[in-house]
Amino acid sequence: MLNASEIRAELAARRKNYSLSRALYCDEGVYQADLEQIFYREWLFAVPAAELPKTGSFATLQVGAYPVILTRGSDGTIRAFHNVCRHRGQRLCSKASGTSPKLVCPYHQWTYELDGKLLYARDMQEDFDASAHGLKKVHCVDIGGMVFICLAEVPPPIADLAKTLGAYLAPSGIKTAKVAFQSTIVEKGNWKLVIENNRECYHCGGSHPSLCRTYSDNPRMTAMEGPDAASPDILAHWARCEAAGLPSRFINHPKMQWRLARIPLLNNAESYTMSTKAAVTGMRMGEMPFNDAGSLLFFHYPNTWNHFLADHAIVFRVLPLSATETQVTTTWLVPADAVEGKDYDLKTLTEVWEATNDEDRQVVEENQAGILSPAYEPGPYSTVQEEGVIQFVDWYCDTMSERLGDAPALAAE
Amino acid sequence: MARVNWTAEPWHESEMLECAMVVPETPNTSTFTFRAPSGAWFDYEPGQFITLDLPVPGGNVQRTYTISSSPSRPLSISLTVKAQSDSIGTRWMLDHLKPGMKIRAWGPAGIFSFRRHQADKYLFISAGSGITPMMSMTTWAWDSGEMPDITFVHSARRPSEIIFRERLEQFANRVPGLQLRFTVEKPDPFRAWNGYQGRLNQIMLGLMAPDYLEREVFCCGPEPFMASVREMLISLGYDMERYHQESFGLAVASEAEAPALDDVVLDDAARSEITFTASGVTQSCAETDTVLAVAKRAGLNIPSGCTFGLCGTCKVKKTAGEVHMVHNGGISDDDIEAGYILACCSNPMGKVSVEI
Ligand code: FES
Ligand code: FES
Ligand SMILES: [Fe+2]
Repeated sequence: MLNASEIRAELAARRKNYSLSRALYCDEGVYQADLEQIFYREWLFAVPAAELPKTGSFATLQVGAYPVILTRGSDGTIRAFHNVCRHRGQRLCSKASGTSPKLVCPYHQWTYELDGKLLYARDMQEDFDASAHGLKKVHCVDIGGMVFICLAEVPPPIADLAKTLGAYLAPSGIKTAKVAFQSTIVEKGNWKLVIENNRECYHCGGSHPSLCRTYSDNPRMTAMEGPDAASPDILAHWARCEAAGLPSRFINHPKMQWRLARIPLLNNAESYTMSTKAAVTGMRMGEMPFNDAGSLLFFHYPNTWNHFLADHAIVFRVLPLSATETQVTTTWLVPADAVEGKDYDLKTLTEVWEATNDEDRQVVEENQAGILSPAYEPGPYSTVQEEGVIQFVDWYCDTMSERLGDAPALAAE
Repeated sequence: MARVNWTAEPWHESEMLECAMVVPETPNTSTFTFRAPSGAWFDYEPGQFITLDLPVPGGNVQRTYTISSSPSRPLSISLTVKAQSDSIGTRWMLDHLKPGMKIRAWGPAGIFSFRRHQADKYLFISAGSGITPMMSMTTWAWDSGEMPDITFVHSARRPSEIIFRERLEQFANRVPGLQLRFTVEKPDPFRAWNGYQGRLNQIMLGLMAPDYLEREVFCCGPEPFMASVREMLISLGYDMERYHQESFGLAVASEAEAPALDDVVLDDAARSEITFTASGVTQSCAETDTVLAVAKRAGLNIPSGCTFGLCGTCKVKKTAGEVHMVHNGGISDDDIEAGYILACCSNPMGKVSVEI
């Protein structure tokens, strides 16, 4: 298990444009450092707001050692709390999601309001101060229907993302959508391998035949040197979308921690379906003006990538479970008034990404299995195909090196 | 010796009232002050109402308003009115009634006054513009120099919609007997609020006025609000002989006119019967028993926590029959719709089956 200075050394020794060292993908100490330096400090995508449709709706997630619960209060606001009872520390809620008028600890039934206030604790002594024992808050923001949380005491700024994501998402109606389906899988691979795999389509032709019916694996679709370095077909797509009120151009964080871009699908395909036609018929998401608006892509490191289409949206959440296991939750969103069986067929809606997720799980697991071999050594990324992976790995290494601090300087006298 | 003040006679409804002042209180709520042009003064009981004849386009309408001023300040009377979205008369007042205009009025009348029910301690409970008779009675109490012990509970949408807040706080800052307890649905944006929040319930009431059982209760507000107050008090064992209510939509002129309240009052003598379907046990019981207590007596287990309808631990499915349930927010409307009850605060009414 590596300590901080050993991790620093691994990061420093990395070769530019090469995959990471074995330890950085497998070591328990690195995993702890990833949690502490990244997952406990960054804004993380938690749930789409649609997963909490009404007063009393709740959802839980586990970020490293922290169980977290999100609720929607009677004022409509979504809040996040540490899912830990203030009495003797019971995990308050063990279910993944549901509805409950109050948050009640299963141990001694201390009862909290949906806004975290402690309402009632039976038979506590006279001088017990209930107001000092509300649930501990976790920072939480709802940006256009995407709810982010941050465990840090002082979270990093999110205003820029909020402004941009809010504007890009508005026409997609994520705020008012409903959850059509959700799947949670565990991939036996390090979380960075899961993200790396998502950041390139070098593997798409070989692994994702159903996705490739509609999604172009041309790397120029998703990697971009300058704001206008796009191919003519993308420029034409942007012009058409922006004329119809859809913000579309590539826009990213200066250090590439997040990016938004609207890309066309192949041959005017409408959606990620086997037929290439919309999965939800007779209606569109939010204010989407036409079916073939392509996909609005959004990623935010360390834990989410997303596709917002004209007829539905698919949001992804990545949470590390151990050095070599990662939970991936996919949620399919459709317009709130779409009726299953009438306006959409669940299989048609989900089959391409159900298959794609499973295919990705297999490549990630095989990737991890190979890296676990002592014979593994970092290999070169393709600068043609794997620009996105390079950006992610650079972001990861820069962030970690910065946060683990410089090598201790010689003590001043 | 000649009297300096009140040499005139009290006002009589044969004289039209002149609007003297219009003061906005909160959004959509204003106080209209009237005087008698003859110099007459106003004699009434705090808590009473008068009826105005309002010349709205399309013909006059008559509307009844509780007087918000106090007869201890008899030179004028004030009505504090709040326009609901569908209001005609009140809307007309807010839009058109200006100082100098004259209005025909009848009254005062009404039986909703604490002076008719002397007690050492009062509990005033109001919601929205139901605060007006409470304001009148509180001002009287203050002006009389007696200031009995009043716990003043008021429920509003937002802090900025608490009518008379400043005046009440001024009173409360100067006498020990007046305790203000406000609860709001939601705070105003960018304004700290450290009062209560949420719908009034038994627990809140217990915190606001721990000695509520000893207090004479006066309640005014929309009917559903008053009905929930009655339910709370009944199930807490409050002596309803000491409960008095006024609805600001329907002011009552005499005891005989007072509508009969068809609240469920459980009867100790009435027999009920609960069948626990999963266990195949049927237990006879009193209507005043809770489902939880009967289950225990029958040797069956229902987990419980708070035992008053807050924590939801005792939720069970009812498959047949009726119960009377007074809960404190521990169950959602959807669950109730789906047939669930909280065993700790549900009383069986007749034959009931639950899935235990
Ligand atoms: S640990 Fe939660 S109530 Fe005791
Ligand atoms: S025991 Fe708490 S609601 Fe019944
Ligand atoms: Fe893939």
